[in-house]
Amino acid sequence: MRRWLTAALTLLLCGLAAAGCGGSDSGGGSTNASGPVTIKFWHGQNDITQKALERLVAQFNRTHSDVKVDVNSGGVLADEMLTKLTASLAGGTYPDVAYVFGSDLANISRSDKVQDLTDAVRAPAWRWDDFWPGEREAATVDGRVRAIPALADNLGIIYNKKLFDEAGVPYPSADWSWDDFRTVAKKLTDAGKGQFGYSWPGAGGEDTTWRLWPMLWQQGGDILSPDGKRVAFDSPAGVRALQLVGDMATQDKSIFVDSDPNGERAIRLFQSGKLGMIEAGPWVLPDIISARVDYGAQRLPGFDGNHTTISGSDNWVLFDNGDARSRATQEFIQWLTAQPQDLAWVLATQSLPLRKSTSETAAYKRYAKTIPGTQVFAQVLNTARSRPSLETYPQISDAVAEGIVAVLLGRSSAQDALDAAAQRGDAILAGAGAGG
Amino acid sequence: MSTVVPTVTAPAPSWRRRVLGEHPSAWAFILPSTILILGLNLVPMAWAFLLSLQRSDLVTPAEWIGFANYKALAHDSTFSSAVEHTIVYTALFVPLSIVGGLAIALMLNRRIRFIGVYRTLVFVPFIMSAAAQGVLFSFILDPQYGAANAVLHNIGIARQGFIQDPGQALYVLVAVGLWGGIGFCVIVLLAALQDIPRELMEAASIDGARRWATLRKIVLPSLRPVLIFLLAWQTFQALQLFDLVYALSRGGPLGATTVVVYYVYEQAFQFFHAGYGSAAAYVLAFAIFALGGARVVVSAARRRRRVARTGVAA
Repeated sequence: MRRWLTAALTLLLCGLAAAGCGGSDSGGGSTNASGPVTIKFWHGQNDITQKALERLVAQFNRTHSDVKVDVNSGGVLADEMLTKLTASLAGGTYPDVAYVFGSDLANISRSDKVQDLTDAVRAPAWRWDDFWPGEREAATVDGRVRAIPALADNLGIIYNKKLFDEAGVPYPSADWSWDDFRTVAKKLTDAGKGQFGYSWPGAGGEDTTWRLWPMLWQQGGDILSPDGKRVAFDSPAGVRALQLVGDMATQDKSIFVDSDPNGERAIRLFQSGKLGMIEAGPWVLPDIISARVDYGAQRLPGFDGNHTTISGSDNWVLFDNGDARSRATQEFIQWLTAQPQDLAWVLATQSLPLRKSTSETAAYKRYAKTIPGTQVFAQVLNTARSRPSLETYPQISDAVAEGIVAVLLGRSSAQDALDAAAQRGDAILAGAGAGG
Repeated sequence: MSTVVPTVTAPAPSWRRRVLGEHPSAWAFILPSTILILGLNLVPMAWAFLLSLQRSDLVTPAEWIGFANYKALAHDSTFSSAVEHTIVYTALFVPLSIVGGLAIALMLNRRIRFIGVYRTLVFVPFIMSAAAQGVLFSFILDPQYGAANAVLHNIGIARQGFIQDPGQALYVLVAVGLWGGIGFCVIVLLAALQDIPRELMEAASIDGARRWATLRKIVLPSLRPVLIFLLAWQTFQALQLFDLVYALSRGGPLGATTVVVYYVYEQAFQFFHAGYGSAAAYVLAFAIFALGGARVVVSAARRRRRVARTGVAA
């Protein structure tokens, strides 16, 4: 009899342990009529941005009695968020809102657990048209709004003034061309001192690819054909752009190819005064300011007077965990992205305003004068273009990145590299190759 | 004591006893680990196999496509080069780590001053995480600013691309893998070396055996079981290489370090081809099963031969 008791007890303990595991994962979603609705928020940030965000969440929790936001990074940084979310969607327990990179939105939106906000954002309280056009485009997949803009970003050139002075090169003007850019980069390069004019991420992936797109757009080229059935980056415009980059890397040797998987080495080099110019967004400004580099910023060089840049905005993706939690999540994100909170976020993290109205506030204008370079990025928010929101985009981006790396390393001509990438891209768009 | 006990026929075992055995409570003791093994190993393995028969992105409903994923893999040039890279890595890493490990273990298996320090130093890289190794070596091997090229430059050798050069990257990866993985071979072999009975070595030296003969006739045969274990273990480690690739090169440059497991990761989590990735993972699993099976067959055949030989001798 006692034996059976032991067995039963053990079983019970096992059962409890299993229930405990499952329970704590999905926990926090209590929808009691009496208490507040708790929502889970994965922000994927660290350092300055994490602190700023957690301050805002604390403020929200103080001022809203009906919703409680349970905030954490999600255990990963934004780079790994897609992997984490995929696993949690497959497992059936997922957060209510998470920070997702712009290029990952189309893929995560395959899931019907991602809220469709198309109708919701029509409500005047969202002030949807107050977001920049590039952001709205990046949050839309197949004509449906699947996310809310979380971070505005675009690319410009940040340069080290001291290195320009030493090389006797005047600071760039707004109307500079890519040929001017190449000349400047060459003058800033000094192999003896281990000093480079410019850098390009060489580890592959989207970080390598997206810097090519503005150069393509500026000449009237595009990534995809108008019907979206074929790729179009292997045009003369694409070849001219990649050729220029390749010549800089292999002939002038003015490009430092950054093979660090996270692309962080270029920023460290810039901080230590070994790199004349980097192509980056305002997200690097806090690091540069803290390293006390005397820097300036200029918009991208242009082809034929066109200086279009690329918007790399990231998103808040809202998940469906039942009506009560969905509504609470919308309430929270609406509050978080509203103009007062947007302004607080911008001031704390030196990022760009998410909303047009934020950029018009007196407080923002005062602030923008104190941080050199911010205005360069803010000015192009209205014209920056966004990449196609396409499920197959990461694969196409990967193929293009491989071509770019081949050219940077002098292993292939620009024409051959883009032809090969286009062939792969067309196959990917046609759904050939990998099964599923 | 001496009274004869009439034999009684045992009562037919109850169904409980038949199902649960002599000691039913034993089940209670093995149940937790059984659940863990089933839940964490076998169920995911079975699930991954089912996944490999589907077109699935993990977030939308899957579609059954039979063995189409496996057929597609056969024509996938990226996958075949990933297989090639894995084979090259394994073919270099396994022998080098075992031979190198043996050499170091022999050096460390003597009574010299500070021997504890040397042994610790050799083992330290093994306990370092792959992520930390990746960061460390990406600093050292940076083509422009790394310490490795600075040293080469000082002794008059041209700068190398290392991990940035598609022709070198895989071999650099083997070198970094050896740096981190050789400590394990050393520690296992060192333990085995110290298990060799001293009388054997003394007898050999009294018989006039030189170092080479001692190594060949006594040390290596004594190490045989351990060497076979290391061969299997290091092979499986090499075939499953992932963390170092992820931390150091992300499969690049130009796919030169894309090994099978990294390819699986890329397919499943970058491109959302979970079914296709599972199929690739199962190809690797079959290869590992086949290697394990081959080893069992070979050793069984050898045992049979030995039995036959001793039979003849008798």
